[in-house]
Amino acid sequence: MSSYKEGKLVAIVDDDDSVRVTLQELLRSAGFFSRAFESAEDFLGSGDQQETACLITDIRMPGMSGLELQARLNAERCKIPTIFITAHGDEEMRFQALRGGAVEFLPKPFDDEILVESVRAALDC
Amino acid sequence: MKWTTGSAASAALRYGLAFASVAAALGLASAFLYFHLPQTFGTFALSAIAVTFWYAGTKPGILAALLSSVVRDFLFDAQTSAENRLLFDLVFLVFALLMTQVVRGRNDLQLRVAERTAELTRSNEDLRREIAEHNQAEYLTGQVFESSPDAILIIGTDYRYKRVNPVHARNWGRPAESIVGMHADDLLGVEFFERKVRPCLDRCFGGEDARLEEWFDNALGRRFLVVTYSPLRFGSERIEAALVIGRDLTEHTLASEALRRAQADLAHASRMTTMGELTASLAHEVNQPITAVVNGASTCVRWLTRDDPDPKEAREAALGVIRNAKRAADIINRVRSLSKKGESKRQLADINELIRETIFLLANEASRNSVSIRTDLDAELPKVMADSVQVQQVMMNLIMNGIDAMKEVDQTRQLTIQSRRAQERELMISVNDTGVGLPPQETNRIFDAFFTTKPHGIGLGLRISRSIVESHGGRLWATDNSPRGASFCFTLASFNESGDSLEESDRTSY
Repeated sequence: MSSYKEGKLVAIVDDDDSVRVTLQELLRSAGFFSRAFESAEDFLGSGDQQETACLITDIRMPGMSGLELQARLNAERCKIPTIFITAHGDEEMRFQALRGGAVEFLPKPFDDEILVESVRAALDC
Repeated sequence: MKWTTGSAASAALRYGLAFASVAAALGLASAFLYFHLPQTFGTFALSAIAVTFWYAGTKPGILAALLSSVVRDFLFDAQTSAENRLLFDLVFLVFALLMTQVVRGRNDLQLRVAERTAELTRSNEDLRREIAEHNQAEYLTGQVFESSPDAILIIGTDYRYKRVNPVHARNWGRPAESIVGMHADDLLGVEFFERKVRPCLDRCFGGEDARLEEWFDNALGRRFLVVTYSPLRFGSERIEAALVIGRDLTEHTLASEALRRAQADLAHASRMTTMGELTASLAHEVNQPITAVVNGASTCVRWLTRDDPDPKEAREAALGVIRNAKRAADIINRVRSLSKKGESKRQLADINELIRETIFLLANEASRNSVSIRTDLDAELPKVMADSVQVQQVMMNLIMNGIDAMKEVDQTRQLTIQSRRAQERELMISVNDTGVGLPPQETNRIFDAFFTTKPHGIGLGLRISRSIVESHGGRLWATDNSPRGASFCFTLASFNESGDSLEESDRTSY
C-alpha cells in the first residue's frame, strides 16, 4: 500500500460528526490525506477546492445539499471527481449525481474496499 | 210573567183589569136579577177580585176589592142595614188580604223556580263544557297514544298489559288486542323479564321513575330501546299501573358506534403514520452511528492488516467503534417506548423531560431542515398524569408540523417550545414556529380529519393530537402569528398532590 503525495487532497463533506471523523480516519489508514468539512458552505469557503483531487460528500445536509454543491462546482468549472455517500439513496438522486459527473454513489454504511478503490481511481485519473 | 216589570202601559192594563173584572161581575149579577134569579154579586165580585189579584197583582187587586165594595153598597145593597154592608166590606177586605198573601206566595215560588232553573241551566252548561273538555283531552291522549313514534303501554301491578299502542304491537309483531291481558314475561321471555324489566317495574310500583337502556330481541330483530317507567295513580294515592314509553334508538346507537369505531380507526391510522414518519427519522438517525461503526471497524482492520501493523491506531479505531455503537443503542432505547403499541397507560410524567426527549428524537430532522430549536421551559412545573407516549406523539406532531411549515421560508427558521403554568392546576405547552403561518380563513379546519396543506399529508395529525389532548382533559388550539409563523398550544391538567380529581381511568379511546 503506497502513500499518496501531499498534493492529492481528498475532501470530506458531511454534517454528522461521527461519520466525518471516522471517514477521515479510514482514509488515513488507507494512506490518503484528507480534510473534513461540516458543510458544503465551509468547503466552498475554505478555498481548498482547487487543490482537491477527490470529493466525498453527503447528500442531505442543512443548508446546501451535496447535489447543489456538485452543481456549483460544475458551474465554477471546477470538476472534482465526486463520491456521494448517503442514507437517502434513491434512484432519482443517483441518476442526477452520476449525470453531474459523480464517480460513485454509495449508500451508508458502505464497504471500505469499494470506497478506497473509488478514491484511488479518482486520484489516478 | 211580565207583570212585575211594569211599564206605564202594563200598569194601565193591570188597573184596567180591575175595572173590567168588577164591571163583568156587575154585568153578570145584573143579568141574574133581570132573570129574577137570586142576587149573586158578592160571589162574582170575589171572583173578579181573585182574577185581578192573580193576573194584575196586589194593587190592582185592592182596587178591585174597593170597587166591588162601592158597587155592592150603592147598587145592590142600598136598602140593607149599615151593619150588613159593613160585613160584606169586611168580607172583601179579608178576601183581598188573603189574595195578597196568595199572590206573594205565588211570586216567591215563581222567583225560586226561576232561580233554580237558572242554576240548573248553569250547572248543565258547566257539565257540558266539562264533557267537551274531557272529550278533547281523551282525544289528545288517544292521538298521542296512537300516533306516537314511541311504544307506549300501560302495565298493571300484576305485570299484565292493560293497554298498548300500535308501535308496541308492531315491535312485537302481534295485534294490540292480543297483547292486552298478556303477562309481560310471556312477551319478553321469562329470563329477560326477570333480569331486566321486572326490577324497573317494581321500582316504578314503589313510586319511583325507572329507566332501562337495553337491546331487545323483538319482531324487528335486535333493537336498542330506551324505556322509561312512570307510576300511574288513577285518582287515588295507590299506584295502579306503570306508564311505559319505549324509544327505539337502534339506528342512533349503531351510528354512534360506527362513529366511535371510525374514530378509533383514524386514531390507529394516524398512530401508524406517525410511527411511519418516526421510523424513517429513526432509520436515518441510527444509520449515522452505524456508518461510523462500520468505518471505524474497517479502519481498525486496515491498521492491523498493514505490512507493519499499528496496534495503537487500531485500538483508537476500536474505541471509536464502541462509542458509536453505544450511540446507536442509545437512540434505539430512547425510541423503544414509542414503538410499543397498545394500551394507554397514565402515569406521573415530567412534561419538560418529555419535551426534551422529543426534541432529541427530532434534532436530526430539524437540523436537516436548518431549523434551530429553542426551549423555554419552566423548571418548577408540577408533574402531569398522562400517557407519555401519547403526549410525545402530540409533541412530535406539532414539532414536525412546525418544521414542515418552515421548509419554504428563507428567513430564520426557529422553533420555540415553551412550557409554563397556565391557569390553576393547568400546564400549557406551546410550539411556536416562524413558518408560513396558518391557512387564512381555514384556521378552524386544520383540526378536521383529512384536512391537510402538505403535499403528502393525510390530514390526521392535528385531529388525533387534539383527541389525545382532550382525552387528557386538556385543549389544543392554534393561533396565527402574523406576519410570520404560527403557535400551537395545548394544556394538560397538572397532577394534584392530594390526588382527588385526576384519577382518570386508562382510557384507550381517543
